[in-house]
Amino acid sequence: MQRLLLLMTTTTYKAEAYLDAAQRLGVSTTVGTDRPQALAALDPQGNLDLPFDFPEVAVHRLCDFAARHPIDAVLAADDEGVVLAAHLARALGLAHNTVSAVETARNKLEMRRALQSAGLPIPRFACFPADADPGSLTSEIEFPCVVKPLTGSGSRGVIRADAPASFVAVFERVRAILAHSGRDAGILVEEYLPGVELALEGLLQDGRLRTLALFDKPDPLEGPFFEETIYVTPSRLSPELQAAIADSVQRAVVALGLRTGPLHAEVRVNDRGIFLLEAAPRSIGGLCSRALRFGRGGSSLEELLLLHALGRDTGGLEREAAASGVMMIPIPRAGILREAGGTEAARAVPSIEEVRITAARGQWLVPPPEGTRYLGFIFARAPTPDAVESALRQSHGRLRIDIDPDVTPPEASPRPVSTLERSAR
Amino acid sequence: MITITDAARKQLAEVLAAQEGSGHSLRLAIAGRGPQGFEYELTLLRADEKSTEDMEVESGALSVLVDAASADNLRGATLDYVQQAGGYGFKIDNPNPVWRDPIALKVQRVIDTEINPGVATHGGHVALLDVREGKAYIRLGGGCQGCGMVSVTLKQGIEKAITSAVPEIAEVLDTTDHGAGQNPFYQPAKSGQSPFD
Repeated sequence: MQRLLLLMTTTTYKAEAYLDAAQRLGVSTTVGTDRPQALAALDPQGNLDLPFDFPEVAVHRLCDFAARHPIDAVLAADDEGVVLAAHLARALGLAHNTVSAVETARNKLEMRRALQSAGLPIPRFACFPADADPGSLTSEIEFPCVVKPLTGSGSRGVIRADAPASFVAVFERVRAILAHSGRDAGILVEEYLPGVELALEGLLQDGRLRTLALFDKPDPLEGPFFEETIYVTPSRLSPELQAAIADSVQRAVVALGLRTGPLHAEVRVNDRGIFLLEAAPRSIGGLCSRALRFGRGGSSLEELLLLHALGRDTGGLEREAAASGVMMIPIPRAGILREAGGTEAARAVPSIEEVRITAARGQWLVPPPEGTRYLGFIFARAPTPDAVESALRQSHGRLRIDIDPDVTPPEASPRPVSTLERSAR
Repeated sequence: MITITDAARKQLAEVLAAQEGSGHSLRLAIAGRGPQGFEYELTLLRADEKSTEDMEVESGALSVLVDAASADNLRGATLDYVQQAGGYGFKIDNPNPVWRDPIALKVQRVIDTEINPGVATHGGHVALLDVREGKAYIRLGGGCQGCGMVSVTLKQGIEKAITSAVPEIAEVLDTTDHGAGQNPFYQPAKSGQSPFD
């Protein structure tokens, strides 16, 4: 039986989807996590504690493990694991993207430079140290602009600034987000691009892009924050424009040097062209992959990705004919989640397949740009994209989200500590 | 079948008398099994809600019904009403073993000796709720409830420990309401259905 090393953080949303997929495919899985698992001793082949921030140590630990339990493929479930996955695959001699390609794709500044070198349309950009004085930068910047960290996902820390006065506050806010997350890398400031935004979910094989789904994002993402909400596929753009988007992403993939595995790309389209905002060697975030089904049996995206990682055929697995979509339920304000009511009524909307509240009652919720967690997800499937979007909006309208803002925020949670870090103290 | 103490009888009479209309019954059932043994469900039923399948152990002004499926495990039990410094309420003393089924007993032993000591180090605990047709139904609590890695704990720990020690078990299903958990991580619920829904 083939064995897959699946890297995931302990805050992942994807554990269930990947482990279910592995079970359906009859694949043995070793879960590599950034913190030791409670029952790792009961299944030594199934669990591996790996320090995500120390690839050399992780490689040593994995090679020792793989000598006893051979690994056939390495896959990262989340953005945080993609660089380590490349290191580990290289050490084992497995097919994977190179470390440098993944590092370039994960760093927004490096990615912008690579795309610029390849002549691809990108927003004008500049990078500043996080400790720069924002007041002294305003003369160098065109407004409106978007300020963002160099790494990260889910629109965390991404804020629009329209004028010098607001830019100073925005820059300081992004700096605070970076400090809170323990990252001290630079801050990217780039041109704000009007237009519609789309997300492309793809699979790379020998550097060739196969588009699995192109999602419309029908809610305008104009700032000041860029909270993701509705994704609907297939896109309602013209076939010609969809083909042009796929071609643009393909060119970006080549420029970045990505060759294999999942790809999640974000593009903005306006009358100036197709601008690539992100091309990440990972799959779509949160539980959003549940909106996708492939082949006659309705295989999940994770099944498809596992098959690909293990070198098996995925050619017959095309996305279903029906339109589908997901709404990442917006967090209306920061505070304690008292109740997420109306879920039965929300589920009762025709074409709605699932309403999942993923935040727990009593959980402290923070909307973007500071927040990283989801309140929940609504999934719909219907004959047309318009029907999907309508159902998602109607379903969301029936939810009653009770968040109590009149409470003291909890102390910042400590960053997960790996065994390596602990042993070093 | 069961014994109802004078204190319970008196309290129950007051509860039933306080209901609107007449003909109410107390229904007693075993809802599951937890770390402290059987978990009970006491409900008040209107006359039109009674099931003919339930067993009536008291009738007349004080009507008490016992869920037929729970009857074997309630035989010889005593329903009491207690008032203590910590509170008051109905209490059931049940002499029956929590598990009669030898397979369930084996599963419980694995949970007690291998699983719970491990998950306790992360502030969690696992309770066996039922064993039916080769499936073990469990509920996770404490730090496990709502944890982002509970699928890993389930698939790569609990399920492997149970299925390797008890070959009669083919699948372990989590029935936890993870949305009610206090853990800061997100956890999607396992797709298994609770036998008690």
